[in-house]
Amino acid sequence: MVVATAPSQANAASSQRAGPRTAAPQTGFAPWKNPDLSPMVRFEGITKRFDDFVAVNNVTIDIYEKEFFALLGPSGCGKSTLLRMLAGFERPTEGRIIVAGQDITDMPPYERPVNMMFQSYALFPHMTVERNIGFGLKQEGMSKDKIEERVDEAMGMLELRQFAKRKPNQLSGGQQQRVALARAIAKKPRLVLLDEPLGALDKKLRQQAQFELMRIQETTGTTFIIVTHDQEEAMTVASRIAVMEKGLLQQVATPGDIYENPKTRYIAGFIGDVNVFEGTVSKVSEGCIEIDAADGYKFKTKSSESVTVGQKVGLALRPEKIRIGREKPNSDVNVIPGKVEDIGYLGSISHYHVRTAAGERITALRANAAHTVEQSITWEDAVWLDWPVDAGVVLTG
Amino acid sequence: MRARISDLKRWYVIGAPFLWLLVFFLIPFFIVFKLSLSDVATAIPPYTPTFSWSKGISAFISQLDFENYTFLFSDPLYINSYLSSLKIAFFSTILTLLVAYPMAYGMARAPKSWQPTLMMLVILPFWTSFLIRIYAWIAILKPEGFLSLFLIKLGLISEPLQIMNTTTAVYIGIVYSYLPFMILPLYASLEKINPSLLEAAQDLGSQPWRAFWQVTFPLSMPGVFAGCLLVFIPAVGEFVIPDLLGGSDTLMIGKTLWTEFFNNRDWPLASAVAVLLLLVLIIPIVLFQRQQEMEREAGR
Ligand SMILES: Nc1ncnc2c1ncn2[C@@H]1O[C@H](COP(=O)(O)OP(=O)(O)OP(=O)(O)O)[C@@H](O)[C@H]1O
Ligand SMILES: [Mg+2]
Repeated sequence: MVVATAPSQANAASSQRAGPRTAAPQTGFAPWKNPDLSPMVRFEGITKRFDDFVAVNNVTIDIYEKEFFALLGPSGCGKSTLLRMLAGFERPTEGRIIVAGQDITDMPPYERPVNMMFQSYALFPHMTVERNIGFGLKQEGMSKDKIEERVDEAMGMLELRQFAKRKPNQLSGGQQQRVALARAIAKKPRLVLLDEPLGALDKKLRQQAQFELMRIQETTGTTFIIVTHDQEEAMTVASRIAVMEKGLLQQVATPGDIYENPKTRYIAGFIGDVNVFEGTVSKVSEGCIEIDAADGYKFKTKSSESVTVGQKVGLALRPEKIRIGREKPNSDVNVIPGKVEDIGYLGSISHYHVRTAAGERITALRANAAHTVEQSITWEDAVWLDWPVDAGVVLTG
Repeated sequence: MRARISDLKRWYVIGAPFLWLLVFFLIPFFIVFKLSLSDVATAIPPYTPTFSWSKGISAFISQLDFENYTFLFSDPLYINSYLSSLKIAFFSTILTLLVAYPMAYGMARAPKSWQPTLMMLVILPFWTSFLIRIYAWIAILKPEGFLSLFLIKLGLISEPLQIMNTTTAVYIGIVYSYLPFMILPLYASLEKINPSLLEAAQDLGSQPWRAFWQVTFPLSMPGVFAGCLLVFIPAVGEFVIPDLLGGSDTLMIGKTLWTEFFNNRDWPLASAVAVLLLLVLIIPIVLFQRQQEMEREAGR
């Protein structure tokens, strides 16, 4: 039995936000489930090698129209490389890229129906905000009046009108970020690529900008592909998330799915806080898997994962799914005794860090409204942890 | 005590450049200026008046006049020399820019590990004497020189080229000699350009050639400006190149000045030529200073 420490222990408060978004504006929006739709973007067996180094390894992804698709992964996992191949700045070593049914693998960047917002914004320092935003339209040979109209529209959408005559170095970071976005959408491309678009902003501005991105994406009805290493950001904005690690695609799913049903230990640990118990499969019955944990505990969980008896697996449990109490629950599976070692009081909720007899640390979460009715739990209390059979997720990878 | 030392230090820091300017620029300039107001004389030194304490300052000043300047304007030789110098400097600056830009661009685009080496190669000629390098050009350009021999061998020409002792040779000499002064500021400004700006331009639908004119070139303007002035200013007063490579029909003010000074031994007139040359160059020099100033401001 092992407890995986989530990467974001420190900002535990934020793990609340990292949960699946509840009032998703795209409820019922799931084109990837519709077999009649053909994807807007298709990465087909894309591999990119730099000399001997494999930056992107045989990645296949379908992205549909009007999606807000996130490429998520740690630094150096190949997210930017994948995006740059779509923009045309890098050529795939193997595989094809298809946009709207057209193979664009060999198309130069200036012919692609794609616009990109750069991480460093890449605003032209010698041009005013207005001319920066109008740059793409001018390349199309659009008339002056028409350009002015479209630029004004984009500036209006991002509240940039008062800065029209300024140069980029006379703007704040947040304003520059909006100019970069305005420039990327001014041509009304069908596909907008964003490489860590909010990486340079501070946390508060960043959350504001995330909602702005979502608003723009929805009002323009454009397909957005965003690269980020911030799981919260991906969870907030995306319709679907592709998690990458070391050039490999790990899982593509909705934020809710990724949170509830992570495929591997890596993803479980990467998104939100999680406890992972290690064990071996002892029994597989219809819809249920029983696991013998290393310390003699028995777990049972509903799962459709195909495993065989004797296989080593992990069991992932989100802290909010674990009940914590002073009384021994009358069940002999999914129960672990322990001692409260640490409590993180976070206003409406508290995190309980419990040390088991075997010395593992488990995090459980409890809403504080319960305090008044239930017995309160404090430091050094002997407690019982338990969870229902549908709470755990079996990890094979 | 300590305050006085730091005071002294401050005075030194402020005073040093002024002192430098005074000793190496202002005093020589006033000597030349005074000389330009004198008259030529067969004496040692070859001008009059010379200052003597016994006659006093006012008597000395009363003998100075602007005769030399009026003479400069009355003889078209001088005006033509100035105009011809400006013309040659102007066109050789443009030629130098045309040659230097692709080189600087290539340097800025070369792999980072190569750049110091390329820079070294640009500076390398400075390790040989300027005069020797110009003499080498004589060996190349003269009718029986390397260039003609080479082209005849290739069968491209049948007669030796008549380049030596023409204005063309002067252009070649100036472009060659001042090339590093153009390349270095160009390289400095091209190298600073963020490559993602070009990606952004292409991403927005600009073909590479248009992206160059719309992004790279405007952003390299500080380098173009600095390089052009660094070539133009010394080229106007250039003496060695027209003297060694140019013919008798190549009129340049530096050569005229030399002739007045050493052949005609007319120091006052030569000084007037020099003072006027400085006045001609003051506009580009001030422009250059302002541009450097702005660069420094922008760099902050
Ligand atoms: N031009 C290149 N030449 C050689 N290696 C490269 C090149 N571009 C990227 N790489 C390597 O490919 C890997 C993936 O790079 P990439 O920029 O896609 O990472 P990333 O996922 O965007 O990371 P980050 O979050 O840090 O931006 C890195 O290890 C990087 O060193
Ligand atoms: Mg990146």
